Amino acid sequence: MNKAIEALEKGHQFSATSFVLDGVTVARYVEAVEDEALPRLAQAEGKAWVPPMAVAALALRSLMEEMTLPAGSIHVSQELEFVRAVETGEQIACRAWLSHRSQRGGYWVLAVEMEGADESGRSVLAGRLTVMVPR
Amino acid sequence: MSQEAVGKERWVTGAELPSLAKTLSQEKIDRYARASGDFNPIHVDPAFAAQTPFGGTIAHGMLLLAYLSEMLTVAFGRAWLTGGRLKIRFKGAARSHETVTIGGHVQRVQEGHEGRRLWCDVECLNQRSEVLVAGQVEVKL
Repeated sequence: MNKAIEALEKGHQFSATSFVLDGVTVARYVEAVEDEALPRLAQAEGKAWVPPMAVAALALRSLMEEMTLPAGSIHVSQELEFVRAVETGEQIACRAWLSHRSQRGGYWVLAVEMEGADESGRSVLAGRLTVMVPR
Repeated sequence: MSQEAVGKERWVTGAELPSLAKTLSQEKIDRYARASGDFNPIHVDPAFAAQTPFGGTIAHGMLLLAYLSEMLTVAFGRAWLTGGRLKIRFKGAARSHETVTIGGHVQRVQEGHEGRRLWCDVECLNQRSEVLVAGQVEVKL
């Protein structure tokens, strides 16, 4: 069930999610962000590389299936580590937890840590998202 | 010296990263919403966004980071995809009609047993030179 993120307690573990980076999804993302560099690199190396930010964005989307950010929420900061390059067709499993929850002025300051791993359990991505949510 | 080695040698302290400019539009923001699944009305609903302090729709922060990632792919190739790290803050909003420019420079270089590690300051500016995104990127070459 979709929950308002500000109602969650610090330490809350989000439900594990997974998604497949299929060709249609990746192509739609690359077209949307007009990334010309990644296709060139992929062609030069003979690999179907996925833009690392696509992996991050789709990991966030999978998390959003459980939580709702109310209108007026502000994306304050983002940390990401791309552990290894990911190819089209790979399945990514995500886990995330609420690592920080405080109040500042009329906002909740909330941080979500997330990790993405491939089918063998090897880490491919880690990150931390900080948002300010109106109280 | 190989082409790859020459590429690595160019990254010294103070070296400028290749800049990248993108002009936003509501169509591009809507396309990103469909690709990412983020349909927050501040991005895709002009009537709603007009009532907010922004006075109109703004681009997704992750769209600006996608532009940043493209610039870093141009600069560092696979090294960005494998082991790249970023830590940024969103300092301003990109309006739906603005042109944003991504750039940066090498702030520090460290040579080690595992190769050369770079720390770069990066930013995204709008056409009024207001900083929308600022932060640091780390790449191992």
